[in-house]
Amino acid sequence: MPIVSLENVSKDYMLGKTVVPALRDVTLAVDRGEFLSIAGPSGSGKTTLLNLIGCVDTPTAGRVVVGGEDTSKLGERALTELRLRTLGFIFQSFNLVSVLSVFQNVEFPLLLQGGLSKKERAARVLGLLEAVGISDYARHRPNELSGGQRQRVAIARALVTRPAIVLADEPTANLDSATGENIIDLMKEMNRKDGTTFIFSTHDPKVMAHASAIVRIADGRLAAREAVDAAAAAGRR
Amino acid sequence: MAGRRDRVRILLRIAFRNLLASKVRTGILGAIVLVGSLIVVVGSSVLDSIDRGMRTSIQGSLAGQLQVYDARSEGALELYGGLRGQSLLEPIEDFAKVKAVLSKVPNVKQVVPMGIDQAMVATGNTFDVALARLRSDARRLEAGEGGPELRRDYAAHVAHLRRMVGLLREEIAQARSIVDLSGRDAADRRREWEALERADTAEFWDAFDRDRYASLEFLENRVAPLAMDNAFTFLRYVGTDVDAYFRAFPLAEVVEGERIPPGQRGILIGKQFAEEWLKLKNARRLDQIKDARDRRGKRIAKDEELQRWVRENRSGIREILLKLDPVKAEEVARELRPALGAAEGEPLEAVLGRLFATTDENFDQHHDLFYRVVAPRLRLYQIDVGDTITVKAPSKSGYFSAINVKVYGFLQFKGIEKSGISGMWSVMDMLSFRDLYGYLTREKAEEVKRLKATMGARELERDAAEEALFGAGNALVGESKAGRIDERALVGPERPGAPAADLAARVYTQDEIDGGVALNAALILEDPGKLRATARDVRAAIEREKLGLKVVDWQEAAGLVGQFVTLLRVVLFTAVLIFFAIALVIINNAMVMATLQRVKEIGTMRALGTQRRFVVAMLLVEIAAVGILFGLAGAVLGAGVVGLIRAAGGIPAATNFLYFVFSGPALFPRLGAMPVGVSLAIVLLVAILSALYPAMIAMRVTPVEAMSSED
Repeated sequence: MPIVSLENVSKDYMLGKTVVPALRDVTLAVDRGEFLSIAGPSGSGKTTLLNLIGCVDTPTAGRVVVGGEDTSKLGERALTELRLRTLGFIFQSFNLVSVLSVFQNVEFPLLLQGGLSKKERAARVLGLLEAVGISDYARHRPNELSGGQRQRVAIARALVTRPAIVLADEPTANLDSATGENIIDLMKEMNRKDGTTFIFSTHDPKVMAHASAIVRIADGRLAAREAVDAAAAAGRR
Repeated sequence: MAGRRDRVRILLRIAFRNLLASKVRTGILGAIVLVGSLIVVVGSSVLDSIDRGMRTSIQGSLAGQLQVYDARSEGALELYGGLRGQSLLEPIEDFAKVKAVLSKVPNVKQVVPMGIDQAMVATGNTFDVALARLRSDARRLEAGEGGPELRRDYAAHVAHLRRMVGLLREEIAQARSIVDLSGRDAADRRREWEALERADTAEFWDAFDRDRYASLEFLENRVAPLAMDNAFTFLRYVGTDVDAYFRAFPLAEVVEGERIPPGQRGILIGKQFAEEWLKLKNARRLDQIKDARDRRGKRIAKDEELQRWVRENRSGIREILLKLDPVKAEEVARELRPALGAAEGEPLEAVLGRLFATTDENFDQHHDLFYRVVAPRLRLYQIDVGDTITVKAPSKSGYFSAINVKVYGFLQFKGIEKSGISGMWSVMDMLSFRDLYGYLTREKAEEVKRLKATMGARELERDAAEEALFGAGNALVGESKAGRIDERALVGPERPGAPAADLAARVYTQDEIDGGVALNAALILEDPGKLRATARDVRAAIEREKLGLKVVDWQEAAGLVGQFVTLLRVVLFTAVLIFFAIALVIINNAMVMATLQRVKEIGTMRALGTQRRFVVAMLLVEIAAVGILFGLAGAVLGAGVVGLIRAAGGIPAATNFLYFVFSGPALFPRLGAMPVGVSLAIVLLVAILSALYPAMIAMRVTPVEAMSSED
């Protein structure tokens, strides 16, 4: 059973009095352990698609099932709970809480979840900081870090609750290409190590090349899933 | 529940760090909250203290806790007089019954009858006083008494009078030079002048001893009226059961003299009234200058009012000269000269001129000299303890009634001695009040009518009176023989008409004191805290017994004076309300801004799985923390201010009215738990209210906001 499945999903936005279709009749299934890239130009519906998968938004029509739960059947609280337990988020502009230290930023979702002792939390947070390579900065505030370092913190934060799925919306867009590739490599490593499903959007062919599969989107419609090599080839072309 | 505790901890941490992150905003909000709570704490502490002060002053000196008066009265009871002067009360005809009924109401300790009114008191002039003194000397001499002491006094008093006549003649001579003597009153004026000239001749005084009484009579009837001194003054008094009054009002005390003996007639003059109206003007002005210097830190050199008083004192010397007989005048001059550096033989007038030419440097010395040397030899008050005074007032029945009462002492109220309100009234016995008030009960009125009928007296029109009485022959003479008017039966045995001495010595029973008219009555309660419940019970008792009385609490009874605290409260409340309304807008604005700035962060938190209530709680904690921290700081600061005020000697009662309001020379605001609690509650409420809208904005932030790519 796929970890995420979308069946004939449409999403319309209201812009004043006109209806703007953002997604039209999208069907997609993502299996556990995938490292899936959603590619498309800006305005193509990437973010909308990610929002639907991320239980941040609900579809106008169709069914979105995340971790076995039909999101249209869940209320606001349950959706929030689902995000907390099942999903991890990595944002384009990192979105760390500015008043908290690196350690506290990563610890934050664990505190929301509850259940772990202080010791367990510390072990897990420090382990992840180690894994993303910024354990030396645990006590720093986000504004003392570079963009790449911040995104590493964000990855650690996304993974700290050991979610089934991590969603990343243009995680490399605000980074230079070398750092961006590093970040993608890091994500991929995490994907391989723990089998966490990663779904990320990008319009950067170099980043796409790292994906195990690519789904292209344009004008709110989804093209067929591409194999990695073909996609890589397309990216290099 | 470790999870919840962790969540609360991170919530607090974020909230506090947000506060620290924007120090300017937090500082401004904090300052507003701090000032607000400071105002509330200090303001309400001061107000509560004023309230307590007024309560003490009003309840402890005149009002008691409740007051009753006749329900048919045209106006409301205003113990201290309202805007229209006297309140128009219908009398309570039978106080004894009211007392019997109301005393039985639970929690009522005492029922004190009262009749508050104004009366005129003849104060006499210096001439009259000097003449009275001389007459008493003369009486003793005529009676055959002798002795060097008496002879010396007599001689001094004669010389004193002679001096006064001399001074009066000088004064009137001056007046004559500027007055046109050809007018209608010219003949009178000339006769007066002749009398005065005669009195100022050596022959008159040489012949004085030959017929003392005739000479005195000449001076009393022909000369004394020419001295246009103060003749009478107005006296505000409370007629009451004096013993009950002192039991009911613990603040009242007699400062000079003694209490009116139980059951007897008499009056206790308000000390403050005596100071202001009866005291020798120069002495009074010295007191005022001293008070201004000592209590209000004024200086003669800098203050126009004090300078005016000094000037007036120098021109008031004549009054003192008139009051001193030659013996005393010489004593005063002899003692003052060395102290004031005057040459031997300098006349008293010049010496007194030196005494009253006070400056900041010599004031205390001169003030002391006056009271040590001059005052003991003077009559300092126009009405003094031991005098018997004549009190006149228009009675209820229309005629002018007059009574003689003995002044037993001066009355003042502890803590509010200087109050321009409480020190101004005098306390008189109930029977004298009834005589002055002159109210005829219905039975008495009937009786008078019957008597008139039996005597054949007729109602006469004022204009036709003469004609009716004398025009048509000797009808009146004939009729008046028809019946002897028994005055005692008409007005009762205790009415004036009986010799004054008898009345003054008579001891009245409690029944006599209670049985009759009163205008209002003060109820003293065992437990003043149960005022409302007792007022209800009293109303019920009045209803049951059909007494036809109205019940008001002390504050209402005090009229305008009682409204003072309420007025202050309204002012403070309005000020606080406006302040916090503005604070609300400012805090709200700042929090909205802060929330909008943090939309992305909030969106991120929501995306990560933070529930809405967490976000709202975070915002509320943030503003509540500002409220509590700075509110407390403001309260502590307020407590400090209150403490400082106390340490600095309180807020001084700059005016006599404030003396009454503060119930003492200074207000010592007391910090109650209430003001602090109230201020914190208000501050918190305002803070939370102003955070509601921002919280709503925060709640509407969706996780989608976190996704927006613009930074």
